[in-house]
Amino acid sequence: MTGFGALLRKEILEQWRTARLQLVATVFLLVGLSSPLLARFTPEILKAVASGQFQITLPTPTAADAYDQLAKNLGQFGALIAVLLAMGSVATEKERGTAALILTKPASRGAYLAAKLVAIAITLGVATAIAAAGAWFYTLVLFEPLDVAGFTAAALLQWLALVAFATITFLGSTLTRSALAAAGLGIAAFIVLGILSIVPAIGTYLPTGLGAPARALALGRPGVEALGPTVASIVLVGALAGVAWLAFRRQEL
Amino acid sequence: MAELKTEQIIALLAPIIVIQLGLMIAALVDLERDERHVRGGSKLVWALVIVFVNVIGPIVYFVAGREEA
Repeated sequence: MTGFGALLRKEILEQWRTARLQLVATVFLLVGLSSPLLARFTPEILKAVASGQFQITLPTPTAADAYDQLAKNLGQFGALIAVLLAMGSVATEKERGTAALILTKPASRGAYLAAKLVAIAITLGVATAIAAAGAWFYTLVLFEPLDVAGFTAAALLQWLALVAFATITFLGSTLTRSALAAAGLGIAAFIVLGILSIVPAIGTYLPTGLGAPARALALGRPGVEALGPTVASIVLVGALAGVAWLAFRRQEL
Repeated sequence: MAELKTEQIIALLAPIIVIQLGLMIAALVDLERDERHVRGGSKLVWALVIVFVNVIGPIVYFVAGREEA
């Protein structure tokens, strides 16, 4: 992993200078703030829209609805942003010849890939933390306080799921020279994993299966196993990164 | 679940409105720079994406739409 530290600094600086870090954090904050608000006011909005035409009776929203809204938005919107972040990371640099140029410096190919992936994970991590903090605060104002430790643990699991989607796209970006092909792989994986998540035997161990333990942790409801799905997703991320490295190691740039 | 006054609801909505408008304006300001090159070559198309594709438009522009000069 020669040169990993220097490359990681370069990648993080690049995330900052191209404003990606700030931008993704801002959008995640938007998701974090709007989710509890949507949960709180959806019944009133529906009532206003359907006034007089037909009677809708919806249960009074709770903090659990606020969390569900956040998890849904982060799971869809966040995954899309993870794909966007990772799609061009290697493919664009190969296409432009930047990758070949960087690798003439004393830096190994493994370090080059690892620095890129870790920088994406850091960006997603900062953004998820900001979204979770915003959502927690708005849930406190609109509903009731949720346990900080549980909510933090849930945010960590959501972040892990996002890193998994970023890594799938990253693998695509390493295998091809096209950022769009990489995005296609990321989105296809999102759809396929979404479908597979309803199969009980394997669904639990996919990144999409992290939702159930995350929810249980955030709402302080015991009885959902978190360790298995967490380890499975970490192994998946490691395996995908390994495949990316094996492919990139002998690739002509 | 506490009842909220109109002023409180406005206070809670204000950051969301500011962030949405801020994102859109930042993307448009960046797009308008003379030296900015965009994917596909058409700045008009990107302007439409930024303005009409809610929230995700500016982010798609910033992450995937810009090309280095």
